[in-house]
Amino acid sequence: MTSRVLFRAAAMLLITIWTAFAAGPLFWVGVISLRSTSEFMNSPYALPEAWRFDKYVTAWTSSGYDVYFVNSLIVVLSAVAIVTVVGAMAAHCLARYRFPGNRAVYFLIFSTIVLPPQITIIALFQTLANIGLYDTRIGLILVYAAVQLPLTVYILESFFARIPADLFDAARIDGYSEWATFWKVAFPVAMPAIATVVILNTILLWNEFLYAVVLIVDDAKRTLPLGIQKFMGDQLEDYGMIATGLMIAIIPVVLIYAFFSEKLIQGMTAGAVK
Amino acid sequence: MATVTLRGIGKRYPASAARGSRDAPPAVRDVNLDVADGEFFVLLGPSGCGKSTTLRMIAGLESITEGELAIGGRRMNEVPARDRDIAMVFQSYALYPHMSVYDNMAFGLRRRNMAKAEIDRRVEDAAGILGLGPYLSRRPHALSGGQRQRVAVGRAIVRDPEVFLFDEPLSNLDAALRASTRQELTRLHRRLGTTMIYVTHDQVEAMTMAGRICIMDHGRVAQVGAPLEVYHRPATTFVAGFLGSPPMNLLPAQVADGALVLGDARLSLPFAARPGPVTLGIRPEDITIAGEAALRGEVVAVEPLGAETILALRLPGIDRDVLVRGGRNATARLGDRLGLHADPGALHLFDAASGQRLEPGSGME
Repeated sequence: MTSRVLFRAAAMLLITIWTAFAAGPLFWVGVISLRSTSEFMNSPYALPEAWRFDKYVTAWTSSGYDVYFVNSLIVVLSAVAIVTVVGAMAAHCLARYRFPGNRAVYFLIFSTIVLPPQITIIALFQTLANIGLYDTRIGLILVYAAVQLPLTVYILESFFARIPADLFDAARIDGYSEWATFWKVAFPVAMPAIATVVILNTILLWNEFLYAVVLIVDDAKRTLPLGIQKFMGDQLEDYGMIATGLMIAIIPVVLIYAFFSEKLIQGMTAGAVK
Repeated sequence: MATVTLRGIGKRYPASAARGSRDAPPAVRDVNLDVADGEFFVLLGPSGCGKSTTLRMIAGLESITEGELAIGGRRMNEVPARDRDIAMVFQSYALYPHMSVYDNMAFGLRRRNMAKAEIDRRVEDAAGILGLGPYLSRRPHALSGGQRQRVAVGRAIVRDPEVFLFDEPLSNLDAALRASTRQELTRLHRRLGTTMIYVTHDQVEAMTMAGRICIMDHGRVAQVGAPLEVYHRPATTFVAGFLGSPPMNLLPAQVADGALVLGDARLSLPFAARPGPVTLGIRPEDITIAGEAALRGEVVAVEPLGAETILALRLPGIDRDVLVRGGRNATARLGDRLGLHADPGALHLFDAASGQRLEPGSGME
């Protein structure tokens, strides 16, 4: 009994330390977002002398964060929608149909996951410039969709492969085409895994910086991570506004995680235990 | 309602699909069947005998590589599953997990652009027949195994098909539920009068439900007939050994000097047969324990089952145990020596090499 109590106490202590370690930087950025840069420079770790919530209003209205936020929203939601639909179709096809080269296609798609973005970025830049999609939101959306496709197919393929073939046979006998069966049976049944990839891709793309900084130059098309960079100059860095911008960028991700983390875990672990 | 006719039906999978074997035998070969209008026809056999593949070819879920399939007199080989006017109940039930019971049953009807009022009527009628009325708004995961099975049957009923196909629909149910569902399905067949083709590996299901049974072995039809006909006159040693629990005793014997030589014993021949090796078949229930008899053996196992006792006896000169169905009050103990009597009319003779049944006239001197 005593050893169990001690074990639980040690576990709680460890979790508390880990939480503080993980959440500490977030808390610190949150505090800085409510302080001015000069205040921060004088004392980086102090609490605010006055809680400057007006900085959020300033960032949103005067520093273009409203535009960046909307850009991020358009780019990320579009890319996630495309990658979810295309990825689900590819995964369904690879999981369900036998055709020559099935595994070769699967491993070809999946193998691109090992390529770091630095390798492909120049070629992407050149390709988008050639087809007139450089410095456009559509270009960035397509790149994001392509970049997230391997991970999406990987997660969904293993889920689709576990859907019993009898369901598809039943739909065939019920008179549905392959296309209708995908939308009316496979897609809804795979919803736990679909939710997982939607959440995962939204978080990853919301924070994406490298492709955006290379492929977007127009200030009116910048996404949130690029907007934050605007406050980082060669001589002067406006830490206060950077922190405010970071919080504006982080809050949606934290909310998504807070509300949907259970679905994320369900999808990732589906089938792991009976 | 419709007839179902199979002429020389065969199924051969591509070499790549046959797990690396280039010379994999066909899964089904030369199946010829005539299922009558309104008949309850059972395909019976062990795992891998080709019964489910045959059913799936009838359903249109597997392509037919040889032969011709007709439903209602119309060739169906190239007709897609949705246009064959069949309904199928799967072993796993194959209920759509994201839909309610109502939606599961209405799913196929909506595809036919049926009026909502007609869909409602059909679903409610089927739910009434199957006692599913209170569960129409539930999802499959909120139902018991038996209820799911009934939803699967309901989904088939609402379509009002020409032919019902059942692929081992009871094998996921426990023994008690299986027995009651068996009776429900039989009643349903009587009520609907529709042609039903039912696949099972369970001989009790086959014997109790079928109008006729087709027993399959290694992709071929071993025998077709009424349940008792197949039981009492098995065409091969495979059928003889497959049907019956405990199964028929199949013993190596010789026909010599007008008698049947079984180990050290000589028995009367049931009919005049050509001298040589044969396989003798005797059902355990056709053997009676007698005080004095030509056949004598030592009891080597006693299995009391309550309603009866199964005895295994070792006969001199025979390397197989002979199973005997004793009464519920059988008192035999291990080591007892008992005399056995079998009426010559209950003996079955099979060709020792081919396993084919020998009949009076077929193997006569």
